[in-house]
Amino acid sequence: MNDLLNRTYQKQIKIYQPNGNARLGFSIWKEMFTELTSSRELILRLFIRDISARYRQSILGIVWTFIMPLFTVGTFVYLNYSGVFKLGETSIPYPAYALLGLTIWQLFATGITSCTTSLSGAGNLITKINFAKESLVISSLAQTIFDFSIRVFLIAGVFAIYHIIPSWTIIFLPLTLLPLILLTLGLGFILSISNGIFRDTTNIVTVATTLLMFVTPVLYPAQTFEPIATFNRINPIGILVITARDLVIDGSLNHPNEFIYAAVFSMIIFFGGWRAFHISEPRMAERV
Amino acid sequence: MDDVVIKVSGVSKKFSRNIKSLMKYGFYDISRNIIGFNVNSGNLRPEEFWSVDNVSFELKKGEILGLIGRNGSGKSTMLKMLNGIYLPDIGEIEIREKVGALIDVGAGFHNLLTGRENIYVNGAILGMKKKEIDKKFDEIVKFAEIEDFLDSPTRNYSSGMYVRLGFSIVVHSNPEILLIDELLAVGDIGFQAKCFDKIGELKKNGASIILVTHNMYKLKSAYPDRAILFNKGRIEFQGEVSKAIEQYNTSFNVAGSAATDIEKVINSTDEFHVSSIEFLPERDLNPGDTLTVKLDYESKIDLNDVEIDIKLNKGNRIYFQATNRCYDKIININKGKGFIEIRIHDIPINNFNSLLSIAIWKQKREGILFYFENKKITNQRVNSCSSENFLKVSFNAVNI
Repeated sequence: MNDLLNRTYQKQIKIYQPNGNARLGFSIWKEMFTELTSSRELILRLFIRDISARYRQSILGIVWTFIMPLFTVGTFVYLNYSGVFKLGETSIPYPAYALLGLTIWQLFATGITSCTTSLSGAGNLITKINFAKESLVISSLAQTIFDFSIRVFLIAGVFAIYHIIPSWTIIFLPLTLLPLILLTLGLGFILSISNGIFRDTTNIVTVATTLLMFVTPVLYPAQTFEPIATFNRINPIGILVITARDLVIDGSLNHPNEFIYAAVFSMIIFFGGWRAFHISEPRMAERV
Repeated sequence: MDDVVIKVSGVSKKFSRNIKSLMKYGFYDISRNIIGFNVNSGNLRPEEFWSVDNVSFELKKGEILGLIGRNGSGKSTMLKMLNGIYLPDIGEIEIREKVGALIDVGAGFHNLLTGRENIYVNGAILGMKKKEIDKKFDEIVKFAEIEDFLDSPTRNYSSGMYVRLGFSIVVHSNPEILLIDELLAVGDIGFQAKCFDKIGELKKNGASIILVTHNMYKLKSAYPDRAILFNKGRIEFQGEVSKAIEQYNTSFNVAGSAATDIEKVINSTDEFHVSSIEFLPERDLNPGDTLTVKLDYESKIDLNDVEIDIKLNKGNRIYFQATNRCYDKIININKGKGFIEIRIHDIPINNFNSLLSIAIWKQKREGILFYFENKKITNQRVNSCSSENFLKVSFNAVNI
């Protein structure tokens, strides 16, 4: 207990007032960065907590991370080879192509879903304890990134089976994934707040990601018919997923201008979403 | 003033009664804030009401402040605003030191994880670094008395263990201001006493504490310096604890709300104070059991020939009532600390729910020293039957 006496008092005066977090200008960004850096440890703890709790009451455990993409890809492989769908020619064998595309897509789709429910799922934590709630959203996304990294091994296995050697430019993959992760997080910030107030958000996100997956050339090569082709040229999520996939397969940025546009778009969404989250956090806590 | 650690100035908070308007206003307010406009939150919109209404007070360093009031009087909302979970709609709250809050016990616990894992997660949520938790770990576990369950998932914990662990983590996070909401509603008397000791220790080390409770007896046991009585979001009384409790009891009676299931304990004088009450055995009674009631007291004066009155109610009628005089036993209480033991022997009752009340009177019933009402006593059903006869009761007072 002597710590209390010995501690050098750092007088940090906090003032709570109406519209507290809402203001324009620079000070809010400083506050946001301070809060983020001081919650590093909490984010890590929440991440470890969720990862270790997730499979605790499960027999197959982490194997599920592999089963789900294999099952989806398996379905499409069957449909493709049986001739139900005509998916077109791919530069590498279809199973490897689809698995790669789907895994990158899942980084976005699963990420956005788990961010959306991260606040409403935390229940009384939100209303009973004051802490940086960004941590909940970020640690949910970290789980998805963790899953992604495990699935990389699955992809490596499938590539090995088909004797596919990815281009050396694969080392730039994290750079192309970064905008995708920031975009997911930015949208996740906005949607988690929205879901705290309107529970409809979860359903909308589920429907929208499913729809987007079929519109975006993830499980099949890019199509040329309109209006899908135009949509895919302007949809930043699609651009980022496809860029990352093509980098692994072809070893080049096929559409650099579109990538730059999507990356800038991601940054705007990320910072905008983060700020919106920070501002609306206390109002959301009253309503979650 | 330099020693003020919390300053609440004219704070109000409104809530919406209706969930649809709550969603609508939420969307509207958040959108305005994001665009960069302030929300003029000083007016009530349809379906809204003031949960906390124009409240001002200060908390000084090293002070214990009790917030009392009926359910829904705004005291918990006030506490959440002090912790920064909710922002006020009008007014301003200034906090000058590190706040630790125990608003709901085990709010951060993940039920599938073990106690050990939860200590680290909960500690991190409360802002502790890993090193700090490592250092305090043994102390936390020891205080919570969960050594044997450290590696079992917390969903197997009893509610008492939950409270103990939750409280232990919060107090070991070294808060300079501690906010506690109805913490001692759960947990046995032994642990409650330990909590009060800990609160006393924190206070001695310069921490300031705000306690929210509707149990007056527990409030008194924590020895707050001051109390605030909330009624419908407003401060009805602010000042001396005994006066606040008096007023609380009056307003309770005026409202005609009989709190039959709530323990009601009154320590009516400052000279004599009962700090804890213990019942043994804690389980349901079997016929023939002896129920022991142990009252720990502290008296500032010698009290000769006090009268201890015990009463058992079954439904609305008195089943049994007697005082120590019926047993020719004279009880003297000496100045200082001690305990009174009352044993009700050979309880013959079957399938019986009764309410036990105990009163301690001054000599010749010149005034009441202590009063305790409505401890529910349950005994188990058996097939034999017996008659209602005069119970054998023994009384004993020991000075320590």
